[in-house]
Amino acid sequence: MMILVTGGAASGKSELAESLCRGDGAKFYIAAMRPFGEEAKARIERHHALRAGKGFTTVERYTDLAGLRLDARGTAILECVANLAANEMFDEDGAVSDPAARVLDGVATLAAQCERLIVVTDEIGADGVRYDAATEAYIAALGRINAALAASADTVIEVVAGIPIGIKGELPV
Amino acid sequence: MVLILGALGAGKKAYARSLGYTDEQMSASIDSDAPVLLNLEEAVRTDPKETEAAFDRICKKELVLCREIGSGVIPLDPTERDWRERTGRLCARLAKEAAAVVRVIAGIPVAIKGELPCR
Repeated sequence: MMILVTGGAASGKSELAESLCRGDGAKFYIAAMRPFGEEAKARIERHHALRAGKGFTTVERYTDLAGLRLDARGTAILECVANLAANEMFDEDGAVSDPAARVLDGVATLAAQCERLIVVTDEIGADGVRYDAATEAYIAALGRINAALAASADTVIEVVAGIPIGIKGELPV
Repeated sequence: MVLILGALGAGKKAYARSLGYTDEQMSASIDSDAPVLLNLEEAVRTDPKETEAAFDRICKKELVLCREIGSGVIPLDPTERDWRERTGRLCARLAKEAAAVVRVIAGIPVAIKGELPCR
């Protein structure tokens, strides 16, 4: 099954995603954020600390998610789609103008390898700021990716101030 | 304490008034005696550390209103990023302590934790 977790910045998406990984099976954390700069490092450290001692295998995968093969079937967290889409769109090695197909293929391929896949994404289109054309294209692409992921997900949860709100399907126990 | 969240202009203050609070009972200052705290996000922006340190005092308010600011593109400016991050984390902490959390969308209050308070 696939659960899509969305929400704004610092809303508690990571904590919720980890709380959805119960059970004794294999647990993977697929990290899409490149560790560039002190802030990204601090954020990654925070995510590491949240998962510490919980038996996760961390897999760093910044682009080409469709090429990833997990060595066991279990639960995986993909965090996060906004990074993955930006990496596909803006990376010097292999930037594509529309990352949707690559991201969606990647998530589908990953979902087929998991008992439970928790996909974390971001809400970025609600600030009413005018951006340059490339950023506007990125916002639109991520919006379409989120809509397509929500269509194929069993459950969609929005996190607001740490509170999970069911948008589609049942909130998992 | 009831935490009231929503976008700029969503109707947070109008909802507080609908609960019977007057404008005189609302203040943006944490140290005021007013039972309703307005614009928590501005306090975070003005003095993030002081605002975080005032957590217990914020929890003693009857209503805490805070604008949701996290659903946009990651700002290029580090101060702006820090503001978003701290406001989001503080709201999540307050939501844990709150008896109810209400999110106002297009003027409509939606209880996302507990019961919707009404007059």
